Amino acid sequence: LCRGGLAERLCRLQNRERSAISFWRHQCLSDDKIPSDKSGVLIVKILEIFDECTIQVAICQQLEHSPLSPEDVVINAEEPILKVLFTRETAAHLKSRPQDVIHIYPPWQKLLLQNADVPVIMNTYFSQKVLLSEHSEAREKTYGLPKMLIRKNIISLAQTFRLDDLDDKLHQESSNNQVPCAPQTHDSSDSKRHPLALSAVNDSLLEMVESQGAVGWREVQVRVVIQRVYCLPAREGSRSHTQGNKPLLSNGGMFCRLCLLVQDAYGIFSEVQLQSLSSTDDVEQYCRRWEGKSCCLAGMKILQRTTRGRALGLFSLIDSLWPPVVPVKVPGQSQDSEMMTTNLPPPSFCYILTVQSGEIHVEVDEEEQISNLYQPPAVHGLKEILRMDGCNERCSFWAQVLYRRLQTKHSVPIDQREMLLFVTDSTLQNVVHGIPKVVAVSVTASCVLSMEIMEALSAGSRLVFFKDALWGNGRIICVERTVLLLQKPLLCSAAGADLSELPGPVRLDELDSAAQASSICALRGTVVGVNESTAFSWPTCNRCGNGKLEVCPQDRELLYCNQCSEVVTTPLLKMQLEVFLSCPSRPQSTVKVKVWHEVTLFVLLTMLLFLQTYEVQSVLGKEVGLLNCYVHSVTSHPNCVALEEIVLL
Amino acid sequence: MDGSTLPAVAEELLREIKKAFQETSQDTFSSRLKFIFGPSAVPALDLVDQRSVTRLKSPSGRTLYQVLGSSGKLYTCYSSCHFCTCPAFGFSVLQKSESLLCKHILAVYLSQAMGACQELAVSEEQLTNILLAEEEDEG
Repeated sequence: LCRGGLAERLCRLQNRERSAISFWRHQCLSDDKIPSDKSGVLIVKILEIFDECTIQVAICQQLEHSPLSPEDVVINAEEPILKVLFTRETAAHLKSRPQDVIHIYPPWQKLLLQNADVPVIMNTYFSQKVLLSEHSEAREKTYGLPKMLIRKNIISLAQTFRLDDLDDKLHQESSNNQVPCAPQTHDSSDSKRHPLALSAVNDSLLEMVESQGAVGWREVQVRVVIQRVYCLPAREGSRSHTQGNKPLLSNGGMFCRLCLLVQDAYGIFSEVQLQSLSSTDDVEQYCRRWEGKSCCLAGMKILQRTTRGRALGLFSLIDSLWPPVVPVKVPGQSQDSEMMTTNLPPPSFCYILTVQSGEIHVEVDEEEQISNLYQPPAVHGLKEILRMDGCNERCSFWAQVLYRRLQTKHSVPIDQREMLLFVTDSTLQNVVHGIPKVVAVSVTASCVLSMEIMEALSAGSRLVFFKDALWGNGRIICVERTVLLLQKPLLCSAAGADLSELPGPVRLDELDSAAQASSICALRGTVVGVNESTAFSWPTCNRCGNGKLEVCPQDRELLYCNQCSEVVTTPLLKMQLEVFLSCPSRPQSTVKVKVWHEVTLFVLLTMLLFLQTYEVQSVLGKEVGLLNCYVHSVTSHPNCVALEEIVLL
Repeated sequence: MDGSTLPAVAEELLREIKKAFQETSQDTFSSRLKFIFGPSAVPALDLVDQRSVTRLKSPSGRTLYQVLGSSGKLYTCYSSCHFCTCPAFGFSVLQKSESLLCKHILAVYLSQAMGACQELAVSEEQLTNILLAEEEDEG
């Protein structure tokens, strides 16, 4: 212990007290009489006892004088109540019970608490229980009173001590414990109500990034132009999402966040990740209202600084916006000086920002005009896109969706499904040869589709605007940051004529030697064989088309559809047949087609299945004319093409 | 009567100590300290004598206390609730509920009351590392 320190002094004090206490107790045992000197003696009657840590707390009533007999002990409600504290040793020595009378000898101490009326008595080392009569003492010793159970109060760790008078005396949890509320974007319609205690508006994203962590960085505002609005799927386990567990998309509950690709006056790009969307249909709205407008960002947090090599998708989008359409500022030079953009290299890094929870400051000037810096997506005809050089180029186009094929692999979870859309436009339909009439567009799971689009695609042939799809390796794919829209964007630079009108009924390429798997084509040919083993028919629900009907448990003659939850009284019979054709457009191959709809072949099937009177021989040589088919597989050895008849949207 | 008694008593005691620190007769406070805090009192005062308590503060406003124990080991005490990383806290306070505080937390309060707390400004990262480092040691 430190010489002369507080600890040493307490130690010495403690030693003195200890000897005094033991001396006193020794004296008490040998002398039962109440000491004559009553000055300073506190006489209390115990009402209630409980333990807190190693201290015994006794709620007592103070008595004027010591009762001489049990009859004297009259509980007077007027007598003051005290809280008397005893140490564990004293309590063990006293063995107090309610109704006991205790004498407490000085030097006891009284403590008055701030908020309580009841005074606290402590330093009660010199305490003695008063026995009221000899009888009770004898009784105690002979029969042994049953051991009394004393309640123990467990003290909460959260109950801390406030030593300052100015602080609120109530023990509240500190304000640091508040849970930040879910972020909400507000656009200019809300901004009028929102008090902005922010500093002057900056025009440099890099300056805002550099000021992070410094004093006042939350108040820094940056003015930027929104180049693109899109949705990004939120990864599982990301901390940034969820408003409950509602599935947002038709692809089985994948969450997505609204994102903006913004550009500042210096040409620097940044991706701003905003809130989780409650409905993906909002994306179309946000695109229309926000793209091209200026907005002020504040209170952003840097999520990541990413580079070209690590974020190919993001940079392919940035490259499509480079070079800027207006001159951009050069850092370090005065406000007015600008630089031509023709020779500037495209950016090699991009900051991904996110909003501070509870503090969103994204104010879009919706009423203002489109900014000069905005580069709308350049729309091209599909013919031009197919002829484009390069890899990982972003392209935008209008197209008619003819047929949709979902990936049906069961091993792939539903939120990672891929979809093939077969599309065409007037530029492809008008071509004679050399270029396919129909193009397959692959839609990956990372491309967020709204419910509206999904419904439109299954309902009928629709004209869809593909914004910022990716072209490369001879394929068009829709990935992250691609947006499919039904409505025409407000501003769109269209190259050439209006591309939305198709010249006539849609024509597909005929099956030829160049046919590839996962494509669609038309074919005609002659029946050269029938695969009887694969011919079958099955009933479907005439309401919903469900092909998996069940037998009714109540009446085994009837069929039940569990999607409609009703009995199917008039099922629709569907039939399937595989035929081998000889196609003049592909003479060397065995062409095997799974047919569903071809009328003449239906007749054949019906006969085969139900009447069994037709000889297969009699259908050989029948002509099958222009079926639309999906190519399942093409093999060269043996030279075989397996197709399936399809119905275009 | 509902509610606990001991914490209010302990708090009042510490408040008085804080208010009357200038007074020469500190024996009253010492003996009351001993009564309420028992065996923790002398060691806590010793820690105060040796200026063992440091208050760490980060730019976001978060605070943390570090107490240099007698063995030379640094213990971390939280400011928003009673918690200390020392074994005595785990045993006496958490397991047995025999004490309100361990000597380190008492030393923190006494140092606050007597103005004997050292102050140190740290970065967010440093504060985080201190908090998380404790978990790793015990884990």
